[in-house]
Amino acid sequence: MSAEATIAVNLARCVGSTMCIQVAPSVFALTDEGQSCVIDAGGDPMERIVEAAENCPMEAIRVEDLRTGTVLFPLTEES
Amino acid sequence: MALSVSDDLTAPEVIADPHSYYRRLRDQNPVHWNDRWGGWVLTRHDDVVQVLRDSEAFSSDRMGYLERELTENEVEPIAPIFDVLSRWIVFTDPPLHTKLRMLVNRKFSPKMVETYRGTVRKIVNDVLDEIEPQGHMEVVRDFAYQVPMTVILELMGVPDLIRVKIKEWSEQLGLFFFIRADEPRRRQFATQGISALAGHLTHYLTHVIEEKAKNPDNDLISLLLRAEMDGELTRDDVVATCVLLAFGGHETTMNLIANGTLALIRHPDQWERLKEDPGIIKTAVEELSRYDGSVMTTVRWARRDVEIGGETIKAGQRVLVGLSGANRDPAQFEDPDVLDLTRDPNLHVAFAHGIHVCVGAPLARMEAQEAFTALTSRLPCPKLETEELEYLPTVVGRSLRALRVVF
Ligand code: HEM
Ligand code: HEM
Ligand code: SF4
Repeated sequence: MSAEATIAVNLARCVGSTMCIQVAPSVFALTDEGQSCVIDAGGDPMERIVEAAENCPMEAIRVEDLRTGTVLFPLTEES
Repeated sequence: MALSVSDDLTAPEVIADPHSYYRRLRDQNPVHWNDRWGGWVLTRHDDVVQVLRDSEAFSSDRMGYLERELTENEVEPIAPIFDVLSRWIVFTDPPLHTKLRMLVNRKFSPKMVETYRGTVRKIVNDVLDEIEPQGHMEVVRDFAYQVPMTVILELMGVPDLIRVKIKEWSEQLGLFFFIRADEPRRRQFATQGISALAGHLTHYLTHVIEEKAKNPDNDLISLLLRAEMDGELTRDDVVATCVLLAFGGHETTMNLIANGTLALIRHPDQWERLKEDPGIIKTAVEELSRYDGSVMTTVRWARRDVEIGGETIKAGQRVLVGLSGANRDPAQFEDPDVLDLTRDPNLHVAFAHGIHVCVGAPLARMEAQEAFTALTSRLPCPKLETEELEYLPTVVGRSLRALRVVF
């Protein structure tokens, strides 16, 4: 599947809870440092990626529509 | 080098001022074998994060380890309770942990939590309506306890007339759990007290759950019941998870609200700062969690030999993970003993780290944000009725017995 999203994990926030990996295991993986990283932005369908971001207890994941640049998550940006 | 730090983790001076104790320990021996407790004590941010991230090397199966420690005669009378407790996600390792956690997580994600904010704001302001005209309050009982308890029971869908009972039971339950490690009667407490107490709570919630099964709604209990119908969970898992949420959901948040209120009273300039600029509330709650969080430590058991900070933790040994120690580590935080409500970044571990990171953290954060915003905007900075504050003598919880203030 080709990627439809730009996904960023904020490492200053990620606490390695692995929630994102449970929801979208082909997109996210744990680094040796125990934090999440994107291994394949097209690995799971878009709904799963947004669901993964929603399940992150730290709101560490940002998802943008690759084509339009619309921010799909988080819906309100942190100041 | 002779260590000038005692191994008595519940000595009066440690209970009164744990931050100084853990600072001395971190300065002198950051990976410390505590002979009295029978385990390692960690106080550096790096070491704490390393252990919490490595759930393969460090297990959370507290009940399993405790059960192996007790004799068969001791275990028998509490076997049913062990059964409930061992299903709690906080004490389980994957794969059961993953299953339970994913279910509960949905109800507690930051996005979900935002939808409860209006309800929480109303609860906080209703509570303050009662307090404001009086000119004084006992913060723990009148404010800090009321808010989280009302919220969690509402989310679970438990009728609120039972609130007082649950408070009584969980207090007694808490007293058992947070009991001194060197308390010679610990096992006696374990075998007698707990079966009766946890029994009450479990029994009552079992009842509520049975009723819910007849009339499912949109609340948390109904969500767990749907997972039961889908064959993902057993009824025992459902009961155990509800008991945990009723217990873990209020005690900790209550303590954060109480400790945070105290910190703000001790720093009136910061109280005023928050009053004038409520926009800083998010970083403010992170800082109050770091500065004097409600959970000071947690425990892990090494599954194999692991090296931490130059020491070898041997398979089977236990590790006291010093969250409060890590939160004041100067290697991670500039001026760690200064309360700065706009501190950012703030990588504190007040809610732990890794797969067991507090599932209720987004909810607790939001509740605390609403509580401190309303408190500072509605009341002038209070004065303490007495400087003599008493804390429960526990290694885990930072819990004030009472906080009397006038305003
Ligand atoms: C200020 C408030 C709170 C603090 C400081 C706090 C702290 C913690 C910590 C440190 C842990 C990790 C324990 C470990 O790794 O051994 C934890 C886990 C947990 N907390 Fe909280 N907590 C708070 C509020 C809540 C609330 C409001 C709920 C529920 C509504 C909750 C439910 C849980 C659960 C279920 C776990 C186990 C998670 C797992 O093992 O995956 N907590 N909490
Ligand atoms: C939520 C309900 C909880 C229950 C039912 C519970 C249960 C217990 C039990 C039965 C023990 C005794 C183990 C022993 O003496 O060897 C214990 C000890 C301990 N618990 Fe908890 N616990 C709870 C929450 C927590 C949380 C949230 C934390 C930390 C984040 C925690 C950290 C500890 C620590 C550090 C000890 C060891 C204390 C000592 O040996 O002095 N507990 N707990
Ligand atoms: S869910 Fe969030 S905190 Fe957890 S591993 Fe993924 S990005 Fe990190």
